[in-house]
Amino acid sequence: MAYDIQTWVSVAALSGGGMAMGFGAIGAAIGEGYTAASANEAISRNPELSGDIFKTMLVGQAIAESASIFALVIAMMLLFTEFAAHILMVPVLLGAGLAMGMGAIGAGVGAGYPAGACCLGMARQPAMGGRLTTNMLIGSAVCQTPAIFALVVAFILLFTDFSQSPVSPTWAAILGAGISAGFGAIGSGLGGGLVAQASCEGVARQPLTATPVTNVMLLGQAVTQTTAIYALLVSFILMFKTFPATDLIAPPMALLAAGICMGIGAIGPAIGEGIAGQSAVAGIARNQEHVADLTRLMLVGQAVAESTGIYSLVIALILIFVV
Amino acid sequence: MEALRQTQKKYSSRAITTAIFAGFFLILIGQPAMGKGLILGTVFGIVNFVLMGETLPLRLGKSKRKTYLFSFGSIFFRYIIVAVPLVMAIKLEQYNLFSTMLGIFLIQFFILAEHVFSLISSARGKQV
Repeated sequence: MAYDIQTWVSVAALSGGGMAMGFGAIGAAIGEGYTAASANEAISRNPELSGDIFKTMLVGQAIAESASIFALVIAMMLLFTEFAAHILMVPVLLGAGLAMGMGAIGAGVGAGYPAGACCLGMARQPAMGGRLTTNMLIGSAVCQTPAIFALVVAFILLFTDFSQSPVSPTWAAILGAGISAGFGAIGSGLGGGLVAQASCEGVARQPLTATPVTNVMLLGQAVTQTTAIYALLVSFILMFKTFPATDLIAPPMALLAAGICMGIGAIGPAIGEGIAGQSAVAGIARNQEHVADLTRLMLVGQAVAESTGIYSLVIALILIFVV
Repeated sequence: MEALRQTQKKYSSRAITTAIFAGFFLILIGQPAMGKGLILGTVFGIVNFVLMGETLPLRLGKSKRKTYLFSFGSIFFRYIIVAVPLVMAIKLEQYNLFSTMLGIFLIQFFILAEHVFSLISSARGKQV
């Protein structure tokens, strides 16, 4: 049974839409569930503060949900837009769906961690409610950054005209770009969330350390985002570099492998950096006098964890430019 | 639940006021699709935010199974509501898709903006 190009484009749009919303819902649901569980625990510890805890939970969940609404936007565009009948639209639609779906997972889960810690912290230190909410929101907003990268890549894929490019190896470059941006966002969202969680716990444990805890949280979170930036860089190269037409199988496979290498390679380092940042922020809340030592140790630990992300970037660039 | 209602009221009124002023401004300068899209997205963003708050008490203090069902139902129902303006913006030329998306996220923007502003103000206050 043979199908025309328009049928394949429609199949890709439906599959891409399904992947965008299906994967995209995972993170937000887990993050919101974690927040609700922590709010339950907080209310059981301090029932008089149920109103404030509800309020914090609402605001935290509203931010945690953003990534899955990005996924919903892309899913709706894939499902309800009429796309041109060109064979390259198939990888474009699959790549956009995969990028946004996977890209929303880490951000959704990650944003749930500080929201949950903020609810618990509020039960412990009601007087620090304002500062806890600020730390939670800023921490959660940083967690959304990789999901925004994935959204940007999905939009670029959907709105760029690839019809003048050769089908091979462009199909692999497009799909690789989606995979790199999507998978590469998972670790950074989760890692950033771990650091922000420790910050809310720290402020609740020792309110006097709020300023250094917030500063080190922002520093630690910034480092966790670097691997998502590498993944975004590889995506941009794959989308915007002009590749010569080829009938061989190796060049497209090298481009697809570059996207897979950077996307999957970015997950571990970002989570590892998040764990290092989480520990440093928790340590500063316990012992403010050693901020400099703890920050230095955190940055050294994060730099070592980052090295595997740099290896992935190097291999991805070799696959794109050398192979 | 008064604190919850006050929070919803505060952010919703800020978002809709901004959307109406910005929307009319865009219509006046000849960008009616962007203006209408912004207002449409904001209205549905507010409905989503209000429903999220209204369903919170239903999710707490219940058995695990009931909490799961309420959470799942709430998310499913609210996503259908948020999908409405997006489908309208994709299908109808009267609404701009990007301004509709901006409207949907306007409440989140105001929540973040308020707290970032307060953090910057408190940091400046300490420096002085």
